[in-house]
Formats: sequence, structure tokens, C-alpha cells
Amino acid sequence: MAEPEAQGSGGEGGATPSPLIHRTDLWLAILILAFCGAAWYVTTTFEQVPDVLSQNLPPQWFPQLLLWTIAILTLIIPFEHRFLAGGAAELDKGRRTPVRPMAWVTAVLLAVTVQSIAIIGTFLAAVLICFALPLLWGERRWKMLVPFALLFPLVVALVFTQFLKVYFEPGIFGIEF
Amino acid sequence: MEPMLQGLALVVDPFNIFLILCGVLVGVLVGALPGLSSPMAVALLLPFTVGLEPVQAIAMLSALYCAGTFGGSITAILINAPGAPPAVATAFDGYPMARNGEAGRALGMAAVSSVAGGIFSLAVFLVATPLLAAVALEFKPPEYFALTVFALSMLASISGKSSIRNLIAGAFGVLVGTVGIHLTTAVERFTFGVSELTDGIHFVPVLIGLFAMGELLSQSQVLNVTYERITSVVIKLPSRADFRKVKWTILRSSCIGTFIGILPAEGSTVAAIMGYNEAKRFSKTPEEFGHGAIEGIAGPEAANNAAAGGAMVPTLALGIPGSGTTAIILAALIMHGLRPGPHLMNETPHFIYAIFGAMMVANVMFFIIGLGGAKLFSRITLIPRTLLWPAVFVFSMIGAYSFSSSSFDVWVMLASGVIGFIMLRHGFGPAPMVMGLILGRLVEVSLSQSMIIFDNEWHRFLESPIVVLFFVLTIVSLFWSFISRGIQRAFARPDVTMERGD
Repeated sequence: MAEPEAQGSGGEGGATPSPLIHRTDLWLAILILAFCGAAWYVTTTFEQVPDVLSQNLPPQWFPQLLLWTIAILTLIIPFEHRFLAGGAAELDKGRRTPVRPMAWVTAVLLAVTVQSIAIIGTFLAAVLICFALPLLWGERRWKMLVPFALLFPLVVALVFTQFLKVYFEPGIFGIEF
Repeated sequence: MEPMLQGLALVVDPFNIFLILCGVLVGVLVGALPGLSSPMAVALLLPFTVGLEPVQAIAMLSALYCAGTFGGSITAILINAPGAPPAVATAFDGYPMARNGEAGRALGMAAVSSVAGGIFSLAVFLVATPLLAAVALEFKPPEYFALTVFALSMLASISGKSSIRNLIAGAFGVLVGTVGIHLTTAVERFTFGVSELTDGIHFVPVLIGLFAMGELLSQSQVLNVTYERITSVVIKLPSRADFRKVKWTILRSSCIGTFIGILPAEGSTVAAIMGYNEAKRFSKTPEEFGHGAIEGIAGPEAANNAAAGGAMVPTLALGIPGSGTTAIILAALIMHGLRPGPHLMNETPHFIYAIFGAMMVANVMFFIIGLGGAKLFSRITLIPRTLLWPAVFVFSMIGAYSFSSSSFDVWVMLASGVIGFIMLRHGFGPAPMVMGLILGRLVEVSLSQSMIIFDNEWHRFLESPIVVLFFVLTIVSLFWSFISRGIQRAFARPDVTMERGD
């Protein structure tokens, strides 16, 4: 099988013949089927109840129906480029280039910020992300960055605590508004 | 008549007018900013409306929805970057007009067409909602089950790369909705011993994560995008000659948009593309399209705003969302303890009229604000992305946290964002998953109730003609992509594909 990028447009009017199976989508389908399998196993561990109590629709029945639906639809995915308008080219438009590491580093930074809420409180967590994320993304205009990182969370905190009565976690420093 | 007057009286309350104005301003701003969208803004605002009265909350969110749809046209025309997916088609002719020195005329036409489409759909909303609700009042669990299945099947035909992926995303959303205690047996499902999951996964953090965090991660990869900007803008209202040229286009697109909006799951983006295609097909000068045809702005703008009003009809009358954004508005109704569907019209008709009034006021407001402030709104794209998206994260974090003062919800928001980012990359849009999540419980409950009524005899579903009708419609919608391709071939329309749905 060829690389997805090299695959023809498939579907209508493809200039080059497209392979039967789209490799990226094949892996995607395997991943989804594995998820369905794992979720199916979890449904078998649900507590069993008598038919009378469950009205003949036991708790695992509906999730299993959904997992079947997802699994059956997933089986079409590796072949979908054959009948989709635009073919593989259309499907691969958004994933032609690999995910840049910046996206994953950003996700980790966001996770660290969320984790820090319980320790340093919501306000300081907001200051942290307003300072760290622009820095991570290459922002070096300090005259703009520093006021933003301090004033924006402050204004947001004041507006939300005073007017909308939103509770802010005070954290170990006990910062409350 | 009395409920209507009661509802309209609620709208003219100064504080409610202020909230509608806030919704319009936020909507136009968010609509104008590429990357930010009205579903995202509605999701972000949702937790902060908890302290408001239900009418105030829904009025503000509805106003945001209307204005956000229009806001996208400003940047579509001035910088060729549609601020929102429904404005994609507006850029086709709006930007060429702007480059030809007619930015003001294009913006004027966009505003007038949007308001015309919006008001047309609200007139339909006013008539259709009570009628639809009266019909739906007769619905019993089997009819509701069939209707919900039909709504989910419509995911196959909403915008996006693939019908199959939309359906999978929808089914996954329904599956996520099954987390927690099973209603009939009180058995815990997919809780893995985590106490926070026993009540199920709240949809608010998931909505925020899918729409805001997923986009944030996408934006982290395109930080160095710059736009060519048209700066000399003098807004011009359409001339009499322009009106003569576009009057039928506006009327046709308003009808199309309203109809598309009323269909469950369809949204403004589909309406705008259809409005554009039809404007071109009926035009006496189709060769001008793509080079600055005024009908190329009137068509999509009237259609996408008409779809916004149309989408509110099934949302309020049936409890079935007409688009991604109305799915979130539906979530807001549930969050405020209201019961979306025919009973809403039956028990609190003034509420429906208040929403109608709020959307009408919103249309007038965004016409004035949009025309007066277009130049200013186009400048908000000068806000560095390096500051804009951290600000969005702060709102998301506070929004998810404030919903139930729980850090767990913030983790749910973040996890949903990462899942949404990966899903979007592989063609699974966030809107179908949200629809599935919100409709999931209704599907399972109505199915369980139906099976009890039918004493577990499946074939008895076919005893109701309404159920049969919905099942037939379900089959049609599942195969709609094949049918529509045949129609497209027959009429040889230009094929316009979209990245994302409304």
C-alpha cells in the first residue's frame, strides 16, 4: 500500500488510481476497534441485575449497541476514500503534516496549569498560564506581555467573583477576592 | 396574545437589553476573530449564566448566536479570513469586492442581507414553533425515540469531511452520555470507581473542551499567520440598483436558510454554501461570481442568518437541536432546569416569545453595531494570537471550574480538548459529538420507556405512522450524501467543501 499522501484522489475523477485501503485510516480503524473492544469488555463487568428489574434492557445493552454501531461504521473507514468526493486528498487535507511538537508541549503546559489550581489557586494559575503560554509561543514583547499576564487575570477574577459570584480556589497562598 | 406580550415585556427590561447587547458585542467580536466561533463562545459563556434568570441567559446566548453568524462576514470581506465557518462562502466574493475598493458596499450588503435573513427566519420561528410544538405534544416515547434517531442520522449530512465520521462521532457522544448511573437499574457504568463520574460527565466542560481547547491546540501550530488587510473602509448601504439585483436572492436564500436551519443537526454553514450555490445558479451573470458579485454576498449572508433563526425552531419546539450552537443552547436550557420540547411551549409560552423578541432585538443591534463598527471589528485581528489564546484558556478554565467548583471538571475539559484536537485532525468534527452527547440520554430513556410500553416487542414500533415516517426519514438522511451527489451531478453545481461544521 502506498503512503496516503501519494494516494490518488479516488472517488470521482481521480487522476491516479487509488489503493483499495487507505493506510492511515486503516490504523485509525484498528485503534477505534481496539477502543470498542476494550469498552465492550468493560460493559461485561457491569453489575448484573435480574431481567424483571432491568425491564429486559440490562445496563450494558445500550452501550453495547452503540459499540456495535461504532465498530460497524469503523469497518468502512479504510475504504472511505474510494467513494468520498475528493477522495484521499480531501481526507488527508488536515493531517498531511504531522502534529507539531508545540501542540503537545502546549497540552502539557495546560495540564500543569490545571494541576496547579489546587496548589496555588485559580488566580495564580491564570497568571501562570498568561505568562508561560505566550512565552512558550515565542512572545517576547515584554511591555505587552507583563501587563497582560498581571492585569488580565486580575480583571477577570474581579469581574467573575464580584459580579458573577464565581468561586475561585484560594490555594496555599489564600488569595481570595 | 397575552403570553406574547409577557414575553416581549421581558425583552424590553433595561437589564435584559443590556445582556442582549453584551451577547451581540461578544458575538460580533468572536465571529470576527478567525479561530473563535459562536459555538465556542456560547460554550464558554454557558457556565457564567448560572446566576441569571433562564430567560436572560437564553436571550443573551441566542443574541450571541445571531451576531456571531454575522460577525464572521466582517473579516471574510476585509481580510479574506472568515471569522466563522458560515462566512466561508461570503469571502468568495466579499474579498474580491474589497480588493476592488468596494469593501464598504460589500459590508453594507452583508449587514442588510443578514438582517433580512434573520428577520425572515424569526417570522417563521414565530409561526412554526407553536405549530410544531402542538404536533409534538402528541408524541409519546416511541415517537421521541424515532425523532431522536432521525436527528442523530442527520449527522450524516451535516458539513464536514465524511458522513461516516460524523456518525461515529455522534455515536461516541451518545456513548459518553451513558457514563454514570443507569437510570432504570441504578448500576454504575464506565465509572471505574471514580466518584465524580457517578453523576455522569457534565456536558459543559466537554463542550468547552471540544470547541475551545481543541481549537487552541490547533492554533498553537499556526502562530505565524498574517493577513492582508483592507484598511480604507467607508460603509455604504446597498443602492436601489443593488437591492433590485439581490431582492430575489435574499428571499430565496432566506427560505433555504430557514429550511436548512429547521432540519435537525444542520447548521448555518450548510445553509450559506447552499445559498451561495443557488445565488450563482439563478444569477444572470454567474461568470462574475468569485470576482466580486454582490449576489455572492447576499446569498450566503441571508442564508446563514436565516438558518440561525430556523435552528431555534426544533430546539425549542422539539428539544432537538437544529445546529451545533443550538445544541449548546439546548444544554443551557437543561442546565437552567427547563424542559426543552413541546411542554416548554405549552407551559411557558412567554419564554418562547421572549427568545423571539431577544433575537429580533439582536438583529437590529448587530445591524447598527456591525455597520458602525466594522472597521473597528476588523482591527481586532491585530490582537496577537500569543495573547488571545491564553485569554481563551483562562476563560475555559474558570468556566469549567465554576460549573460545579470542581477541578475534576477542568480535567474533563482538558481531556475533551485533546480528544477533540485528535478527532478533528482525522475528520471527526466536534459538533456531531456534542449533538450525540446532548441527545444521548434522551435516546436511551425514550427507548427504555418504549420497550416497557411495547412489552419488549420491537415490531410494535411500526404501529405508529409517525415512527414509521421518522424511520423512513432516517434511512433517507443516512444515504443523503449519495442522493445529493446525484443531484449535484445532475445540476453540475460547483462543489464547495468545508473544513468544519457549525
